[in-house]
Amino acid sequence: MTTTLGLSKGAARARGIREFAASPRAKQDHPLWFLIPALVVLVVFFFIPTVFNFVYAFTDWSSFKSGINFVGWDNFVSLFSSGQLLGALWVTLVYAVLVAVFQNVFGLALALLLERDTPLNRGLRVAFFIPVIMSALAVGYIFQAMLKPDGAVNSIIGSIIGQPVDIAWLGSTTWTIVVVALVHAWKWMGLSMLIYLAGLKTIDGDILEAARLDGASWWTTFRSIRFPLLAPAVTFNVATALLGSMNGFDIVQATTAGGPGGTTELLNIFIFRTFGQGLFAQATTMSLVLFLLVAVLAFPVIRTLRKREDVL
Amino acid sequence: MKNRFRGAAVIAAVAALTLAGCSDPGAGGGDSAPAEWPAQDADLSGTTLTIWAAQNSNTVPESVVEGFEELTGAQVDVVTIPDPYEQSVQTKVATGDTPDLAFWQPTASMLTALNASTNLQPLDDAPWLDSYKPELRDITGILDDTRYAALITTPAVEGVYYNKEVFAANGITDVPANWDEFVQTGRDLKAKGVTPFFDFGGGTPWATQWWVQVQLADAAKDGLWDRVNANEETFTDPTIQGAIDTYDSLIQEGLFNENLKTATFEDQGPALLSGDAAMAVQVNSFFGQLQSLADTAELDEKIGFFPISPSGNVGTFIPDQSNALVAFKTGDAKREAGARQLLSYWLGDGYADFVEAQSTVSLQTDVDSSAEVPQALLAVSDSLADSVGSMQALAIANPDLYLNLGDLIQGTMTTAEVGEATQKQFAELAKAIGAAGF
Repeated sequence: MTTTLGLSKGAARARGIREFAASPRAKQDHPLWFLIPALVVLVVFFFIPTVFNFVYAFTDWSSFKSGINFVGWDNFVSLFSSGQLLGALWVTLVYAVLVAVFQNVFGLALALLLERDTPLNRGLRVAFFIPVIMSALAVGYIFQAMLKPDGAVNSIIGSIIGQPVDIAWLGSTTWTIVVVALVHAWKWMGLSMLIYLAGLKTIDGDILEAARLDGASWWTTFRSIRFPLLAPAVTFNVATALLGSMNGFDIVQATTAGGPGGTTELLNIFIFRTFGQGLFAQATTMSLVLFLLVAVLAFPVIRTLRKREDVL
Repeated sequence: MKNRFRGAAVIAAVAALTLAGCSDPGAGGGDSAPAEWPAQDADLSGTTLTIWAAQNSNTVPESVVEGFEELTGAQVDVVTIPDPYEQSVQTKVATGDTPDLAFWQPTASMLTALNASTNLQPLDDAPWLDSYKPELRDITGILDDTRYAALITTPAVEGVYYNKEVFAANGITDVPANWDEFVQTGRDLKAKGVTPFFDFGGGTPWATQWWVQVQLADAAKDGLWDRVNANEETFTDPTIQGAIDTYDSLIQEGLFNENLKTATFEDQGPALLSGDAAMAVQVNSFFGQLQSLADTAELDEKIGFFPISPSGNVGTFIPDQSNALVAFKTGDAKREAGARQLLSYWLGDGYADFVEAQSTVSLQTDVDSSAEVPQALLAVSDSLADSVGSMQALAIANPDLYLNLGDLIQGTMTTAEVGEATQKQFAELAKAIGAAGF
């Protein structure tokens, strides 16, 4: 049991912090069986469902029959032989990357704009955080109404440019995924903003003053000092946005339900549809594939981002 | 280290035990002895019956529930299950949660999806069967020669809703008598600057499939879906593929509304009512939308209905969830009998009140339809007698044909891909059902 006080191992080593090893005394104070209550919760609500997710993927569980039989790799073979799963996986990846980029760019920009502790900024921070606590389905339905060809967005644009506009924002087979990713990013950018704000606050004022004395411009200070020092916040924000939106469902279901033409059909929507058909085992197989994909992506992404923190 | 190993062993043991108990929790039910049918007014004091209904059917039982509670002393709770109703119900039933009664689409495919033989009470010798109009008695609700669903209102029919004023203004006096005339009428209207057909590819494009299905009416009468069910014919064979191709060619010809790709269901009713479009191939729930936009007098004046098929005016019927109820095997004999008793009352002494309260068409010879039924709905119910079953009614599985047709409208699928994708999904479902030949 070792810890490096929350720093990455490289950063800890750079600062000369030795890895902390629990003493025999500590082991007596906190015997392992203290973990049992927490472990029980973890096993019942996380471990067992996950195991079942693996098991059912190899069965023919459906709403049509009472029995459940093992069918080996059948579900995987039929899923991967049809292009649909790979299509949905690709859409999911594109969506996750778009959301991660938008959410972090918006969040960081907001954090920089609202950095100073003025009363106005405090109010604005609250305003931008409100979407985070709103129901995702509500957000989706509101945007679905606003983005209709005769919706509010087009009326606003129309009144600005002085002629009627009837763009079908959710009707393009190419661009709708970008629009939906923007909606998702809009909902969650307040959270990224908050974390970036916290990150900005932790930067030592002396360093910034030294930079100023050296004649560094705002941009140089940001690029060479503040942004690198924000690395832990970037790690958290990028990882949660990317991996969180891989599991996206609610906003897309409410705005496009996977359309137009299946171009925004995330894997979770595909799973939902398959489950609704009564093909429980196939749906489970897909969710297993998604689980594996998220896991496979998570390690290199977090590792790469943590590496950046070594300069701290 | 030893402790940790022990912990891992405990987890493994717990997991193994749980997995050993791995069986379908939805596998309730039991043997089905021939059911007794209690008298409609038998005392049910202290019994609580639960009916699951969808958001658009939860007010349907009101008059029946009131009458039944008064008559028998039972308590009847109508529980609204959120949309998408069918998926929510299937999920609940899969986890072993069942009501006493539920609104359910009485088609073979949807009864299969509920695993009817295990989960549902057979209604074979129900006392109300002889009250039905003879042609409606066995129209639906039957799976593998066992009746599982009680039809309470007229099943929906796929056909053409049209704006009478637009027809009159353009000199069309007789409604088209077959598919070719129907398409020709569309072309004539287009030549006069009218949008002939309205469909929607935005939102959930569920009406797209009616265009393909009405073209299959003749083939359906000829056993098309039996052949599809046996894997002797597929969605990519000339009959169904041809209907898909024809639908596409009508779109390419420009016979549909200009905003076909983005229009949604909510746009369809207003477009037909205002005369912006002349015709829509739709089902009864579309008429429900019209009724929310105009009163019966206006609808009688403006909106008409005719069924269509390749060779004539044959409708394609498609019962939906609000048309019928199923009774579950709950394992509680008293409540199971209570559920049968409620159905007996619904289609017995309570039926006349029900028809009046719902302003609907009667299914029974001795009960008159409500006087408030709009003409178009009467036309729909008249077309039922010689109608043929839809894919939903006759096929063992219900693939997402409408979604694939929606993709066709958006240009992300070709007609050939629509046929292939639908067949692939159908085969997968049929395999899961355990149908022979898949």
